[in-house]
Amino acid sequence: MTDISHPGAAGRGIDRSQAIYWGVAALTTILVFGPITPIIFQAFLDKPLYDDSAVVTIGNFTRLFSEPGMAGVFFNTLYFGALTMIVAQVFGAVMAVLVGRTNLPGRKWLGEIFIWPLFVSNLVIAFGWFTMYGPSGFITLAAKTYLGGAPWNLYTVTGMGIVAGLSQAPLTYLMCLAAVTKADPLLEDAARSTGAGPFRALFSVTIPMIRPAIIYSAVLNFVVGIEMLAIPLLFGGPSGIQTVTTFLYNAGINAAVRPEYGIVGAAAVILLLVVAFLVWLQGFLMKGAGRFVTVRGKASRPSTLDLGAWRWPAFLFVFAFAFLTIISIFGGIFMRSAVSFLTPLIPFWKVLTTANFEHVLGSANYVRSIVNSVLVATIGAAIGTFFILVIALVARRSDFRHNRALEYIALFPRSLPGIIAGLGFFYAVIWLPGADVIRGTILVLILAFMIRYIPVGFGAIAPALAQVGEELDRGARISGADWWTTVTRIIVPILKPALFSCYALLFIHFFKEYVTAAFLYQPGSEIIGTTMLQLVAQGDNGPVSALATIQVVITAAFVILARRVMGAKIYG
Amino acid sequence: MADLVLQNLTIKYGAVTAVDNLNIHVASGEFLTLLGPSGCGKSTSLFAVAGLNHATSGTIRVGERVLFDGNPSNTVPPERRNIGLVFQSYALWPHKTVAENLAFPLTLRKIGRAERDERIKEALGLVEMLPYADRYPFELSGGQQQRVALARALVYRPPLLLLDEPLSNLDAKLRERARVWLRELQERLNVTTIYVTHDQAEALAVSDRIAVMSMGRMRQLGTPREIYERPADSFVADFIGSSNFFDGTMLENGTDKARIRLADGSEIVTPPGAAARDGSVVVAIRPEKIELSSSAGQNTMRVSIDQRTYLGSVWQYAVRSGSIEFRIQTPVELKEDSVLVHIPQEHCAVFPDKPGAN
Ligand SMILES: Nc1ncnc2c1ncn2[C@@H]1O[C@H](COP(=O)(O)OP(=O)(O)OP(=O)(O)O)[C@@H](O)[C@H]1O
Ligand SMILES: [Mg+2]
Repeated sequence: MTDISHPGAAGRGIDRSQAIYWGVAALTTILVFGPITPIIFQAFLDKPLYDDSAVVTIGNFTRLFSEPGMAGVFFNTLYFGALTMIVAQVFGAVMAVLVGRTNLPGRKWLGEIFIWPLFVSNLVIAFGWFTMYGPSGFITLAAKTYLGGAPWNLYTVTGMGIVAGLSQAPLTYLMCLAAVTKADPLLEDAARSTGAGPFRALFSVTIPMIRPAIIYSAVLNFVVGIEMLAIPLLFGGPSGIQTVTTFLYNAGINAAVRPEYGIVGAAAVILLLVVAFLVWLQGFLMKGAGRFVTVRGKASRPSTLDLGAWRWPAFLFVFAFAFLTIISIFGGIFMRSAVSFLTPLIPFWKVLTTANFEHVLGSANYVRSIVNSVLVATIGAAIGTFFILVIALVARRSDFRHNRALEYIALFPRSLPGIIAGLGFFYAVIWLPGADVIRGTILVLILAFMIRYIPVGFGAIAPALAQVGEELDRGARISGADWWTTVTRIIVPILKPALFSCYALLFIHFFKEYVTAAFLYQPGSEIIGTTMLQLVAQGDNGPVSALATIQVVITAAFVILARRVMGAKIYG
Repeated sequence: MADLVLQNLTIKYGAVTAVDNLNIHVASGEFLTLLGPSGCGKSTSLFAVAGLNHATSGTIRVGERVLFDGNPSNTVPPERRNIGLVFQSYALWPHKTVAENLAFPLTLRKIGRAERDERIKEALGLVEMLPYADRYPFELSGGQQQRVALARALVYRPPLLLLDEPLSNLDAKLRERARVWLRELQERLNVTTIYVTHDQAEALAVSDRIAVMSMGRMRQLGTPREIYERPADSFVADFIGSSNFFDGTMLENGTDKARIRLADGSEIVTPPGAAARDGSVVVAIRPEKIELSSSAGQNTMRVSIDQRTYLGSVWQYAVRSGSIEFRIQTPVELKEDSVLVHIPQEHCAVFPDKPGAN
């Protein structure tokens, strides 16, 4: 049994895998830095990027800072971001501990409700808040009529920050919940056996254990706050409050009329730097956080803290939060879509109408935006999953010399705000020779979304990949398979569940995205988000809520399908 | 027929030298075992032969074929080395049935369906797993998985078979049977084999030759008998079987024997050996080689019995003579408090230092 006549597999091995390594690395680098480069150039040029007579200058930055009101814009942005973060952290963490670690009545279904907002865009949520809590919103009017006043005003930076914070609380909730339920209850038991009361044990043992999750989500929410478009646009617009994103959005949209290239580029670069710094800070803070994490692989036996007499007051508190910030927001959108005029003063059934849906479905443009959204999400998520899978395999499971650098570049879009990704792609498509062919198609949307959400998909695939023992690859290599055969024939089949989850997550993100598309769509490539942006600007609230309802219904159908049929894990 | 040659093989991970200047020539059809404590570099050496890690310098050859010589452009990737490898964890692909696991390497070699099925049957027959061809790995017991892993490594008839602690996940009884069976199979196929284990009994039982390693370096290479009876240094004497170590001072070192004074003042005669610079030595003697004696004489001492342990096939006694404490093993049950023991000169070994000091 010794014939050495078989020299192993065919002789293409090493060259093919090297070609794939370098190809993926080059593509990732181009796609990630492609949209950033023109923005940076533009920030330092005195004329539009494509004008050959443009010269290098720092004048854009001096002009930006001397622009009247600019200091206010930066202050608003930071204050808004900080408030978003604080409100989201406080509510999110408290809800996570109450739902994840106590015997709160109804914690199961309350926990389900808390993740709904993660499936839809900020734009839909912002519109929901506007419908219910705006100056003539349903709840505002009801409070004025029945309680004698509504002490809130969303049209201030503080009001906007609180709304944004409450709508971001689910993100904090989700991250803290994972930490709370995975934290080893034995540690809590150990604290109790040394004489600490149950609350003492919770605060001195469990809370520190979720500290990494709190730190991580705090920075994340700060970033979400300063790059958020929908809430500042809807609530800041009427009262003339601007943040950096709304400034970029307005200046960018109006660029055709008022040439603002330089200033837009400069502001974008500053935003990019701030966000990149925050993401770096997040990584830096997490480095020291490792020692707090006592996370067991398996979710351990549920140990719940008995709230005793506080059970029902706690329930009322949690339910009020869920009702006022989630259920009523979704309810408001649905109700608004079904009536001609939403007010507590006229009985609901007297104003019922199908006109909003007829309006949307009767317009070729609106229907096309729905079809495009579905196409972008379905096809884009598939392309994205494949691309991210290959990146993860090269970064984590190959002998590619620059695998760490590749992962670093692939995760860089965490620091890339949607508005800048959109703007950058917009420039790049004009600037790069040949790129013009995809301008104004849904292909450019798919590319832009894909870049933006590489880190999301990577986060779904990488942990599953880490679970696949390296000996399985080694066994395949020694049996005669080259790298590509090994990953496609051995690793990918084992990764199938994670790939479904990745696909589902990308689908949801692509389907709800609107900011990145704001500069990129053209008649023919509009998606639900951009159409809603347009309609909101025109004050067409009926059709907006009809579109939002359609978006929510499609998303819900997809989530149910993905969970049932594909067994995808989406947010727990 | 293929022999394997490792020359000056060195593998470094940053500042850590996992394998240090290893030289081994494995003859064609030989069964060679790499034996050593955990972390001594056995798996690292084995995987370097397989091409699954990057050696730093040295040469690896199979027959005339160079697999590695330090020049990256000459390094043969693992998939083209045509080597069989069995992992400690078996590494069976969980999404493939037993037959599919075996079919994969054959498909890669573009072997036609008929011959492929023939070879799968043959390999599964060799390991007595033919009835399990359509099961998935998780439907098999540990011992069955181990045999399938072996069949997968043999199905493409590699000239060289590497085994990384293939039996360590089996229970003691099964392990003993499996090693006999494994050795028989290897002899039948006459495949050159490198076997990695940290179990010295296993190594002694199956190997043609054993390479004892410690901290990345090879301490001794020899037949099981040589390793056991003529350990090259005190580490080997201690690691293979077990030994008593007596501190002493070299009095006289001749060509055929040496005289040594032990710590209790007595003198013994041993084979010659090297002493440390200050004349101190350690004398190693295995507990089962020490004999009971009826009369005083050379190499004989009176010891008191401190402790008795029944080990099944033998009794082990912890004994002392003055300040010297050691163990003896004998099938005889001793009732008395003190006995005369004889330390046979030919079973002693003299080293300059204790295990762990070198
Ligand atoms: N990838 C690596 N990076 C750094 N050090 C390594 C790496 N792989 C192995 N080592 C080190 O090399 C040394 C030898 O490891 P190796 O796995 O060969 O030990 P072993 O003899 O097989 O031990 P065991 O019996 O426990 O399997 C160890 O000190 C180990 O820590
Ligand atoms: Mg090992």
